[in-house]
Amino acid sequence: MKFSYRWLSELVEGLDTDPRELTRLITMKTAECEGVEHVATLLDQASPARVISVEPIGDSHNRRVVVETPAYGVRTLVCGAPNCRPGLMTVYVPVGRKVIEGVESDGMLASGKELGVNNDHEGIVELDPEFPFASDWIIEVDNKSLTHRPDLWGHLGMAREVAAITGRRVTDPVRMSLLPQGESAILVEIENYELCSRYSALLFENVTVRPSPLWLQYRLEAIGLNPINNIVDVTNFVLAELPQPMHAFDAAKLRGGKIIVRPARPGESVPALNGETYATDSSNLLICDAEGPVAIAGVIGGMESSISDSTTSIVLESANFNAASIRKTSTRLKLRTDASMRFEKSQDPLNTARGLARAVELLQQVSPGIRLVGGLVDNWRQAPAPPPVTLPLDWMDRKLGTELPADEVRRILESLHFTVKSKSDRVLSVAVPSWRATRDVSIKDDLVEEVGRMVGYASITPAPPQTPTVVPPGNPERVFEHRIRDLASAQGFTEVYNYSFFSDEMLKAFRMDADSLVEVANPIASDRRFLRNSLVPGIWKNIVDNVRHLDYFRFFEIGKEIHLRPGLPPEERPRFLAAIYSRQDATPALFELKRLAECLLKTVRVDMDAEPREFEHPRRVGLVRCGDSDVGRLFEFHPNLVETGRAAVLDLDLTMLQVLQPPVKPYQPLRRFPTSAFDLSVIVPPRSKAGDLHSVLAAAAGESLVEIDFLRTFALPDGSNSISYRITIGASEKTLSNEDVTAIREQLIAAVQARGWSIRG
Amino acid sequence: MLAERIARIQSTALSKIESAGKLEELEAVRVEALGRKGELALLSKELGKLAPEERAEAGKLLNAAKQALESRLEDRKRVFAAAALNLRLESEWLDLTLPAPGIRPGSLHPVTRIQREIEDLFTSLGFTVVDGPEVETEHYNFDALNIPPSHPARDMQDTFWLTDGHLLRTHTSPMQVRAMEKFGAPLRVIAPGRVFRNEEVDASHEHTFYQLEGMMIDRDVSVAHLIYFMKTLLSHVFRRDVTVRLRPGYFPFVEPGFELDGQCMICGGSGCPVCKQSGWLELLPCGLVHPNVLRSGGIDPEQWNGFAFGLGLTRLAMMRYKIDNIRLLLGGDLRFLTQF
Repeated sequence: MKFSYRWLSELVEGLDTDPRELTRLITMKTAECEGVEHVATLLDQASPARVISVEPIGDSHNRRVVVETPAYGVRTLVCGAPNCRPGLMTVYVPVGRKVIEGVESDGMLASGKELGVNNDHEGIVELDPEFPFASDWIIEVDNKSLTHRPDLWGHLGMAREVAAITGRRVTDPVRMSLLPQGESAILVEIENYELCSRYSALLFENVTVRPSPLWLQYRLEAIGLNPINNIVDVTNFVLAELPQPMHAFDAAKLRGGKIIVRPARPGESVPALNGETYATDSSNLLICDAEGPVAIAGVIGGMESSISDSTTSIVLESANFNAASIRKTSTRLKLRTDASMRFEKSQDPLNTARGLARAVELLQQVSPGIRLVGGLVDNWRQAPAPPPVTLPLDWMDRKLGTELPADEVRRILESLHFTVKSKSDRVLSVAVPSWRATRDVSIKDDLVEEVGRMVGYASITPAPPQTPTVVPPGNPERVFEHRIRDLASAQGFTEVYNYSFFSDEMLKAFRMDADSLVEVANPIASDRRFLRNSLVPGIWKNIVDNVRHLDYFRFFEIGKEIHLRPGLPPEERPRFLAAIYSRQDATPALFELKRLAECLLKTVRVDMDAEPREFEHPRRVGLVRCGDSDVGRLFEFHPNLVETGRAAVLDLDLTMLQVLQPPVKPYQPLRRFPTSAFDLSVIVPPRSKAGDLHSVLAAAAGESLVEIDFLRTFALPDGSNSISYRITIGASEKTLSNEDVTAIREQLIAAVQARGWSIRG
Repeated sequence: MLAERIARIQSTALSKIESAGKLEELEAVRVEALGRKGELALLSKELGKLAPEERAEAGKLLNAAKQALESRLEDRKRVFAAAALNLRLESEWLDLTLPAPGIRPGSLHPVTRIQREIEDLFTSLGFTVVDGPEVETEHYNFDALNIPPSHPARDMQDTFWLTDGHLLRTHTSPMQVRAMEKFGAPLRVIAPGRVFRNEEVDASHEHTFYQLEGMMIDRDVSVAHLIYFMKTLLSHVFRRDVTVRLRPGYFPFVEPGFELDGQCMICGGSGCPVCKQSGWLELLPCGLVHPNVLRSGGIDPEQWNGFAFGLGLTRLAMMRYKIDNIRLLLGGDLRFLTQF
């Protein structure tokens, strides 16, 4: 929302605060200003000018012009504007002294666009007598910070704030006495007062439609509203001032002499002012004449009944519509207008008649000869004023953390037009002004803000609270996650964060079934349509992207899988993924990841009974287990997915990983008797698993087993493998004798042979 | 006579000891003079032939000679050993500028780093760190936060709606209500996490980013307490005293609501491009918890009140590490990520 400093100056008596300082003050006390801009600065040196003579220069479209100005005397210049003619009153600006087409040109005659007073660049300004020769400052306020303030969508509302901030008085521009008395010439019916609590209107005749005077165009232009014609400009002026959105209908185009406010009926559509036709439904409120819709209430007027050059009589609508309904309609039609933006903030119903009074005054200025027909139409179901808010001052002091004298609080609230009465020494009763009462201020907490911001939060001294020391509840899951992050990064893995969405590329590469995924209903880009139910595709994308720059890398991610559960809310499962990419063989990478898994949970093992998925190397995939529980998977990517180099992935369920962490248990006493060790090399057929041999040996050693250490494995010429282990055995109550050791060794050999394997050497 | 022979053996052996160039030569001297069949041993056999008083005298001389030779031998051995050791040490010169073998440590994500610092600070101040779902209900994300369906504030956040009616949380604020429901009052929690906005992406806008919500509920929590915590937080994060200012800001779930600005760390408040010449950086939306929100969390606003704040973790990480493109954070480029 843009505010004109000049406009505010007209509404705040004696305002002389520097515009930049005022911008800062508004930010600190009212709403966030995004900036302040000095506009139409040429006007500060411009002068009215009367064209004395216009002479051609050869065949050029440019002409030699002599003007007479009060400020700069007689000047000669070159001007190409088609409307430049002797006798014209226009604007001279003393800039640009140069020779054009052989003529010494001293200064220029300016177009409306050059001056910043309107958007007209067809010719030079045709001056009217009331035009102010002065630049303006435009203060731009962040719309988001005005969400709760219907009143601040107009200059009067901001003027009230400025007056309170600077300790001045605000001037109300509305003269209600201008409203006509007597019977109205039009009839207004409202079907549902919940949707339209008040509809006021006036009928005017003898209307002349023409461009507005320059001062009005300048006002609108400066705050970003396009000047259109005198009638529409007046409605926009009132919208930007009070802020009451209004609409002018061409009275001749309204059929049946009445206006009906009602929800749209099935199949109704409205051809609107902007050239679009909107299909409406029963959630949209329409303004209709006797035969059908003429406007979408509070959003946009209809094309048919709009003001044109031939309009001679108008109906001026000034109504109050339900905020939620307008918002719904504007969202559904994807049409946000200056009117809908204001109505959806809950406007003050008292403003409808005030808006008309203001418009009467302005229309008389911009359309001389205009006449009112009949009295004011005012169809209104008035809601009772909300009760005053009780404000205990001690309570407010505790909220703010500072002590404020009652007089100070009263002064502040009154400067903001609240009506304050004392209920007791330290308790006030505060009535809320109508323009703040629609939604913004209704409870005592709201008044804390009013007082706090005006006192200034800088006056509050920061202080630690006096609260008992208690140990807060812990969050073991998060502590665990952090531990894992530390561990993974210490092991050389770098943390990545990936998106929670699957891109099209991932869906395609992993041949995913979209029906199994949680879907976004309103995606604005195709890479944000489905939520990830696995972190693997993201990791894959990281690999593919980084291969371009790096030959070898390790990384990990901790993130949530989001799973579709028919009939239930989606389920989020935290996962830990780590990956290693290498240009060469991925064997070391797979074992490094296996080691990482063991670092995270000492007791995990990798089993090879996994059903390979399409993106996994079918012979290099394992299930990570602990006891009977599945913890995750270890695999190499299928070469179809990683074409250059090889990549291994560890994918673990974080919850399981944490649940399975070994419990605290007492230590094992150290052995009192020495242990004995021997090596065994076993020859096994191709593709036998060391894990199986390990289990056989461990089972055979039984209670005597202290440790089994893998030593080495290698392939023999016939394709079988030799696998060697060092077995350490011992007893708790004695030193094993040579005979004991031999007996156990024989036991192990027998067990190995029973499996059909043989001992080497 | 015996004395002369002893003296001669001793002096001969001594001179051989002195002239010995290596350990083996010393050993030869020892065997020759002091060995079981050495010269002194042979001499000692002759002692028996002497008269007792002469024998005692000669024995003393013999022992003295032995001791002298042994002591000298030991000295010389030590010298040789020391020289040999020096030689070994010298030969073992090692280039320690060679890179260490094994794996270089990896890096933690910049958001993780800053998040953990803040978690640690608030934990030390008696806050619990809570986690919540990324897929939220309309109730927790909006309604319970005093943002009913028709509220214009819903426009402030472009929402990813899911086809089943859920949504991706647009802020970490739903955790206010979840934490109140779980723990009741009094309450001190922070909730860091991933949030989503359905909007176009550019160098300063992402659809996925990180926030940290904070909330304290107790008997008389005031604006003064809020400012204290925010100042403590910012000074901790930026590792220096940060001048702050509080101004009105509108968020439906707080009343009064504030924007907390910190004096620009780049220019120190004099104005620069980073702070858009204002001297201030918008850092923390915050406020006193709206009574409707306390009620949503099952807490009686007449008995308890509190403050809440929302910190942009992503933004803070960008400020600290001077990251000028937000897309780097979830871009997965290891050339970027390994820098932290």
